[in-house]
Amino acid sequence: MQIWVVCEAEGEGLRRAVRELAAQARRVGGENVEVTAVAVGDEAGPAEALQGTVHRLLKVEGPAGYAADPWVDALARVLGDQAPDLVLWPEGPRTRDVLPRVAARLGWNAVTNALALEAGDGGLRLLRPVCGGKAYQWLGLTGRRVLAAFRPNSFDPETQADLTTRVETVSVEPAAQRAEVLERTGQESERVPLTEAQVVVSGGRGLKGPENLRLLEELADALGGAVGVSRAVVDAGWADHAIQVGKSGKTVSPALYVAVGISGAVHHTMGMDTSKVVVAINSDPNAPIFRYADYGVVGDALQVLPALTRAIREART
Amino acid sequence: MNIAVLVKEVPDLEARVQVTGDGSGLEVEPKRVLNFFDEIAVEAALQLKQAAGGRVVAVGMGLEALRRALAMGADAAVRLEDPALEGADPLTVARALAAAVAKEGFDLVLAGKQGTDTEAGLVGPMVAEVLGVPCVTGVVGCEVEDGSLVVTREADGRETLRVPLPALLTAEKGWYEPRVPQVMGLMKAMRAQIPAVSLADLGVEAVEPLPSQGFQGPRSRPEVRMIQGEPEEAAAELVRLLRDEARVI
Ligand SMILES: Cc1cc2nc3c(=O)[nH]c(=O)nc-3n(C[C@H](O)[C@H](O)[C@H](O)COP(=O)(O)OP(=O)(O)OC[C@H]3O[C@@H](n4cnc5c(N)ncnc54)[C@H](O)[C@@H]3O)c2cc1C
Ligand SMILES: Nc1ncnc2c1ncn2[C@@H]1O[C@H](COP(=O)(O)O)[C@@H](O)[C@H]1O
Repeated sequence: MQIWVVCEAEGEGLRRAVRELAAQARRVGGENVEVTAVAVGDEAGPAEALQGTVHRLLKVEGPAGYAADPWVDALARVLGDQAPDLVLWPEGPRTRDVLPRVAARLGWNAVTNALALEAGDGGLRLLRPVCGGKAYQWLGLTGRRVLAAFRPNSFDPETQADLTTRVETVSVEPAAQRAEVLERTGQESERVPLTEAQVVVSGGRGLKGPENLRLLEELADALGGAVGVSRAVVDAGWADHAIQVGKSGKTVSPALYVAVGISGAVHHTMGMDTSKVVVAINSDPNAPIFRYADYGVVGDALQVLPALTRAIREART
Repeated sequence: MNIAVLVKEVPDLEARVQVTGDGSGLEVEPKRVLNFFDEIAVEAALQLKQAAGGRVVAVGMGLEALRRALAMGADAAVRLEDPALEGADPLTVARALAAAVAKEGFDLVLAGKQGTDTEAGLVGPMVAEVLGVPCVTGVVGCEVEDGSLVVTREADGRETLRVPLPALLTAEKGWYEPRVPQVMGLMKAMRAQIPAVSLADLGVEAVEPLPSQGFQGPRSRPEVRMIQGEPEEAAAELVRLLRDEARVI
């Protein structure tokens, strides 16, 4: 069986989500799997980080920096030619642009937002949410060609570097980009991206005002995590929609999610319910968020947050 | 400008959802609504029409969603109706939508960023690909300028792009606040004739969907452990638990 993993860089390195997928491909593929990491254009450098953990590294030369049209074209050609069984992609804005269009070009099945991949009795299967995460569905993958995108933090990225990776190169002359970028403003934050972070500290209206978002940031920095907010905070203009967690914002799945002054409306919890460990801090002992939490503290966020930040810093030194 | 909006009908976010006893199916309370992001797309279409003139046609499968789009002010609606669309693969849906849109004629197609049901975000860009037009996802702003569009999108920061028409855009939260239909609109929507087309009418070939291997509910968490004490004490105890018990820090 041929399983491919689509590489995506982050800064100078490779996205952790890509390492997770490569590790999981080997885990579920067993003896007969050949895992190929496919890296388009400039992603080839960072993809070297997978040396020893995949059977093959396939560099696709042609497109340089990322642009949707040439990427779709290049990937559709290479996938069409080599016809792997399953292609794993890290969830993210780029995958959301490219994956559906490649699937449409090739006539293959496509799934996004998946959160588990395992070998069952009937071969490989994946799990994806339905009804906004109120239930989950297993889909069988055997005997098909499938493009599937998985949420970051779905798998353990650790694997043995015990393979001899063949490095191959293909060249394509991809289609031109049609939409022209006039301006780009990156994320100002120095912190880890929200959807990728192992720790997310989120605040809600219980923080009382934009000036107190600083308390969240301090805790997030102490934990090496990212900051999120509820929609109420975005609607009040205290923070940008880019860091909103929930149904109409981002879905996160960190190892630790801390919800501070957030009531726990279903629209919010739908975006964080797959977090491994959840801590809720709220002044109302009956707040619904406690039903989604492993640990709860009843108290004033403005007092508990600084105390927690201090305690974390102490524990870390 | 001829604008087609792709409208998906989804279960209300508040609808009760239960996995059947044997895990093979789902019981979903039959409360159906127009998808959250598609409401934004309909609003954007109406705003663009106001600025540039033209016509807004809603295209979709569910009557509830199509009537809502009409009530908001869409000029017409086209319904895809075919047993083969029940539980269809997203690519089948996209091919059908693309064919229906092409038949209507269009300069611009708007879709939602994703459905609130599977949060897949597949169908919009697939339709763009089938139609052979450029696609911009996660749009939060759009102006018409000399026959092309200047579009702002949200994706790991912000991007402004110039996009030639025809094109397809998917709507992100923050583009517009969707209007609430007025009584007149609701009455017009109730009376509207909505023509139905089938996959055969459109000459669409279905893609076999991936087989379902059963459903499960969300993971149930153990009962929450409440940590008592003054802020300093509670914080110290919490840190101890996160380190020694949960092992996440
Ligand atoms: C279609 C739709 C989509 C939506 N999408 C999202 C989404 O993506 N994300 C999202 O978050 N919401 C979303 N919402 C909104 C959601 O329903 C809630 O309104 C929102 O999550 C509430 O935000 P909140 O918890 O910050 O505010 P509130 O509900 O006002 O809760 C504030 C909480 O803070 C507590 N509090 C008050 N003072 C203190 C204090 N001093 N210390 C500690 N705690 C305190 C209160 O007890 C309360 O529990 C959506 C709604 C709809 C209809
Ligand atoms: N059955 C459908 N009818 C009309 N539009 C749809 C349908 N399914 C998906 N769409 C459009 O495609 C977008 C993304 O849907 P999805 O791929 O299901 O997340 C939606 O916001 C709609 O604009």
